[in-house]
Amino acid sequence: MTDDRLRATPDEPIVAEGRRVPLTSPKGLRRVPRGVDELATEHLIVNMGPQHPSTHGVLHILLELDGEVVMAAEASLGYLHRGIEKLAESRRHHQVGTLLDRADYVSGIHTELAYAMAIERLMEIEVPEKAHWLRTLMGEINRITSHVLFVGTFGMDTGSMPTFLYTMREREALVDILEAVTGSRMMFNYVRPGGVTGDLPAGIIAKLETFLADVDMYLDEYDVLLTDNEIFGPRTKGVGVIDGTTAVAFGMTGAPLRATGVAWDIRKAHPYAAYAELDFDVPLGSQGDCFDRFVVKTAEIRESLKMIRQLIAGVPEGPHMAKVPKVLRPPAGEVYTAVESPRGELGIHLVSDGSDLPYRMRLRSPAYYNLAVIDEALAGGLIADAVVTLGSLDIILGEIDR
Amino acid sequence: MLPAEADVTRWLAAAGAAADEVTTTTLGVMARIEAARAADVLATLRDGEGDFDMLVDLFAIDTGEGIDLRYHLRALDRDEDLYLSAYVDYDGEAPSVWRCYPAALYPEREAAEMFGMMFAGHPNPKRLLTTDEVAAPLLRKSTLIRTWEETRRD
Amino acid sequence: MALDRIFGENSMVFIRSEQLFDAARRNSLWYVSFGIACCAIEGLMSAGGPRFDYDRFGIFHRGSPRQADVMIVAGTVNKKMAHVVRKLYDQMPEPKWVIAMGACACTGGPFREYPNVVLGVDQVVPVDIYVPGCPPRPESMQYAFMQLQEKISRRTEERLAAR
Repeated sequence: MTDDRLRATPDEPIVAEGRRVPLTSPKGLRRVPRGVDELATEHLIVNMGPQHPSTHGVLHILLELDGEVVMAAEASLGYLHRGIEKLAESRRHHQVGTLLDRADYVSGIHTELAYAMAIERLMEIEVPEKAHWLRTLMGEINRITSHVLFVGTFGMDTGSMPTFLYTMREREALVDILEAVTGSRMMFNYVRPGGVTGDLPAGIIAKLETFLADVDMYLDEYDVLLTDNEIFGPRTKGVGVIDGTTAVAFGMTGAPLRATGVAWDIRKAHPYAAYAELDFDVPLGSQGDCFDRFVVKTAEIRESLKMIRQLIAGVPEGPHMAKVPKVLRPPAGEVYTAVESPRGELGIHLVSDGSDLPYRMRLRSPAYYNLAVIDEALAGGLIADAVVTLGSLDIILGEIDR
Repeated sequence: MLPAEADVTRWLAAAGAAADEVTTTTLGVMARIEAARAADVLATLRDGEGDFDMLVDLFAIDTGEGIDLRYHLRALDRDEDLYLSAYVDYDGEAPSVWRCYPAALYPEREAAEMFGMMFAGHPNPKRLLTTDEVAAPLLRKSTLIRTWEETRRD
Repeated sequence: MALDRIFGENSMVFIRSEQLFDAARRNSLWYVSFGIACCAIEGLMSAGGPRFDYDRFGIFHRGSPRQADVMIVAGTVNKKMAHVVRKLYDQMPEPKWVIAMGACACTGGPFREYPNVVLGVDQVVPVDIYVPGCPPRPESMQYAFMQLQEKISRRTEERLAAR
């Protein structure tokens, strides 16, 4: 850097040849500007990501640092932009689910469900009760797999590697059940317009009951590992505070919004599938800090387990798929359907022109809006807290970049 | 929940917008507004009687003749959704609404690069998702995806 | 020591230095923890978890590319990401290997029609092992690592034969 302010006179070298200046930097390094008595600092721009173990994917954040304090932050997206909205315009309606699975790849059931609901509302398809029941059950199992992954990665963000190993144990147990029902570990393509692809295989309820018998012990382990941990509390309490007004202004939904005390859950506000018949609470926070966001998520795991217990108590009979045409041609029109995905309100805004291809499909992704607040939330905090704040928002880059 | 059409007409009139095109469809209640006045209308809907405190989504649709900007607003307390539609020409300009709804910061950048338009007054009007290597606005209907021959690898 | 069990206690083993180094490389394939998309959950996170536990093969993740031997390209590479992948690859010390995991990294996968997507990561960096699947199961990745180990030992033999 050839900044003239750093030199005594513009032509004079920073350290004159042969002259030893006491208490200044060696030759070649930058010297304190003249007239400044104390050690001068300057702002440093640090790139966090795209390759960073705790950005949960390929997110790139530019941090302007003054020492350890973050002065400003700017997220740079698009490292996973692969045109799900564009490609959906050249896919038939029952092929779109394949793309949507890969949008939010940790909770595919919810994205598929939102799209299936959009088609069903446009075409006025009556979905059988069994299909509603299966969608709710699989959705809640999928929510737990997503939430335990969050607990594990958030543990890693706060410096607790063992938590990840514990949470993967529960995740694998549930992924086995999902695989037995849907045929895939991650990309389910299970919820289709009109119902679901298949009924439960034999013996899966017993397997689920075995898991449910032990799971409370596992959740208590999470409390010991993180919630009641001496290090975890100070690391997250009062960090990354987002108040309710800011959260609503930035369009945040899901656990980050509920952690601020705003009770908004699509499952309660506009019950879809079988949620109207279920008895469950919506956990709320009060402070809006990282700890509240974590506690809301862990409480949601318990609520989901409560729902699964209610669901397997009464298995309805009947078909799991309504009679739908082989080629879906919804009438021209627009529709917006939203589901409560593990990350918040996941909406599909579908514009149909009456053909077998969607005219425009907009994926309202919750993490996209939850992430927008990061520019505000990181500024003023410490750089070590940036990782924790980012981790607590539980972002999935697949649905942010689409 | 749907707001009453009469209420929407009244709120829009308070913002000084033409209020003759309020329709109820399968989507919900949708009002057509002038794109140039979008920022004023949304500010009135948020601070005035309408009290729509949340911008759920902002996106664009290529209609074939121009760009249809969509604003999806929600009043959280009353649980009412309102959709606004504003027409913009290709390569046209609409005012940025980030001052009343900061949630619009990212989606406006996305709509601008994907549809080739401008948002006047946006604080950071950069590309959001792609780089300069991708010249064409990708979500326009005139931009075609690769054909089967182009994706083949020998 | 495992060698004690094979060759007897306090025995001496003569081995060419290259063979020794390649044996060491084969059994400590550290991959850079760089997950792009969906495949990262299967190939990097489940892989590090207790069920699949790649650590028993000496396969472990490193945060920095400068300490890694293997790069698993786990996901769709688009034009914005391609520069990053190349930069990360250049930062890795020799010898280095690349595993293209999943349909997207191999050919572009379900997103190959989108003009922003690169048709396979081998247009950016040289690839040693291709793993098909969308996403491949963690077992597939285990097999891919075993194939990579074989590839490394084959290279030693070829080099010794050429001498």
